Amino acid sequence: MSKNKCERDPLEVIGRAKGYSLEDLKINLPRHANFSPILAKQINKLPEVFLRNSGSPLAKKIIRMMREVFLEAYRAKQFTRTEINNRGVLFGVVLLKHRVMDLILKYFHERWPSCIICLYNEDNHKTAIINEKGNICEVNSPLKKVVEKVSEKRPIIPYFEDIQFSGKEIFETLYNSQFILERENQSYFKRMIPESCFSLPGMRNGVEKRFRNKKINEFFK
Amino acid sequence: MPSTLEKIRILGENSKYDICASTASSRTNKYPKLFVNSNKWVGATASAGICHSYTPDGRCMSLFKTLYTNKCIYNCKYCFTHSCSNKMSFTPEEYARTFMKLYSMNVVEGIFISSGVCGSADQTTEDMLEAIRLLRFKYNFRGYVHFKCLPGVSQYLLKEAISLSDRISINSEASTKDFLAEIADQKDFYNDIVKRQRWLKQIRIKHNEEALKLMQDLKLDYKYYYQEKMIKDRREDGYKKFRWDGAPILNGGQTTQFVIGAADEETDFDLLKRIDWGYKEIDLRRAYFSSFIPIEGTPLAGKQAASLAREHRLYQSDWLLRIYHYKLEDLKEVLNEQGNLPDVDPKIHFARNYFKEHGPLDINEASYHELLRVPGIGPISAKRIINLRSKKFKIQSRKDLKSVGVILKRADPYLIINGKNQKTILDFAEYHNELPQRGVP
Repeated sequence: MSKNKCERDPLEVIGRAKGYSLEDLKINLPRHANFSPILAKQINKLPEVFLRNSGSPLAKKIIRMMREVFLEAYRAKQFTRTEINNRGVLFGVVLLKHRVMDLILKYFHERWPSCIICLYNEDNHKTAIINEKGNICEVNSPLKKVVEKVSEKRPIIPYFEDIQFSGKEIFETLYNSQFILERENQSYFKRMIPESCFSLPGMRNGVEKRFRNKKINEFFK
Repeated sequence: MPSTLEKIRILGENSKYDICASTASSRTNKYPKLFVNSNKWVGATASAGICHSYTPDGRCMSLFKTLYTNKCIYNCKYCFTHSCSNKMSFTPEEYARTFMKLYSMNVVEGIFISSGVCGSADQTTEDMLEAIRLLRFKYNFRGYVHFKCLPGVSQYLLKEAISLSDRISINSEASTKDFLAEIADQKDFYNDIVKRQRWLKQIRIKHNEEALKLMQDLKLDYKYYYQEKMIKDRREDGYKKFRWDGAPILNGGQTTQFVIGAADEETDFDLLKRIDWGYKEIDLRRAYFSSFIPIEGTPLAGKQAASLAREHRLYQSDWLLRIYHYKLEDLKEVLNEQGNLPDVDPKIHFARNYFKEHGPLDINEASYHELLRVPGIGPISAKRIINLRSKKFKIQSRKDLKSVGVILKRADPYLIINGKNQKTILDFAEYHNELPQRGVP
């Protein structure tokens, strides 16, 4: 590229929108479990271009941290399995090491705006709640207790009562029905659901892991 | 009377050859929202859907994809209807409730509703629409719905289907009338399929033009605040029950699907020609290809399955037509004598022919469309290169190219950077033949 370095805007020259803007970093980096105020100070001192370019070790570290934060939030949105009771309380279990609970709660709140959503974090053993107005709070009680307590004050809502039946078997049947044997591609499947995802609470006993596993009887045929 | 589980098992299995994306980006915040921002609505449609599960072939499984009924008056030769003796249908209530249950478990993102033709296309579509109506109005679901229209359905039903769904598709199955007659002789290609596809385009364009006009009129009459207020008031008055007329409809567009390899002499060129027509004439958003897989009990049970590689090459070529805006004539050069795609990436194959004739490309002088012909350069990196050029920056090294996102290992042989061209291995071979052997004086 042009040799005249002072003329060029490095952000444009790189052109790949690599990394994150300072604003993004200020909002989302504190979500990381290993975030420290010293890191915040370091970031504030540096110009954005250094942070966007993964050339320096610090920038690499920051980009990795941000990716970890967003990936965890994304995986939680994908693989959290929830239940709903007849009083309009949606609840589930998550495993979040970083501080992304608010993102997950908002995601579910957008889908179920008339519900109270309770998510229990296995990592810190706290239950986070978001109400219909979008207010978030966190309590130190187990999920079952919280759901009972929250449900107490709410009336039975016919809408939610209407969908009170076990769905696990339904999903398992649907999942098994969609598979085309001729197209089986395990390596692609593993790329889409990495092994680490099966350790998430919603996936531990998930149908995806069990499907087509051989039973002991099959070996004796 | 089969149970719901039994219905899901059989109707789900019957629909597994229907292909659809998870959730096409359907609604954005750019336009007025289709639904009121109210607590009564359930569900959301993000600009890009999230996949909640994957089947063992790695395909995303985030839609509640089953047939509504597997009773069918048609006898398409490739279709399961010949072999399936368990004929059953959902009831609208059963369908809607089951979906809502799955949605509450966060295992699905939306609905893909398709069906056999039971009685008549209109009758079945009415039933399918009833299920969607229930979802929209009783269960207040505002999420993603992909509606598969049946061949020969009436226009008034299409209109309603459009107003209730995010994406609509009609399966073409084959590229021409003759090929369709070979595999599904009861379907009229032009009347049952092409005519309906044209209707979809017309209905969508007409509505969206009116919506745009409505918004422009509002802009003229009111300042921003009043415009927003007026929209809100009209929504709260129950205007049009759930749909705001200023919002564009059918944001996921219309799609279609082809069965590959079922008709004997259908070539890849025939399919590409039909898709190209679709992009130009009916605003097709995209096409899906489903490799033919013989099903026991059908007339084509003994026929060989189509290769998945063929499907893959067709998707690659479709990408070139749709995203890279290649012309059909360009792709013609890639095809073999039979009119089929060779088992090579069509872009690389095309580039080999093209650049052999025209010579390598100077990266600092090539136009946008020329850049797109280079393997390893996509629309985004091509735009970046053009953008840099407009700011008088010149690319002088491979490192610069890498920084704009070009995949060098593919692009190198076709580019001149700073007067230099990376030779291909073939060039070395030719050069080597002219030179004396190593060690020979």
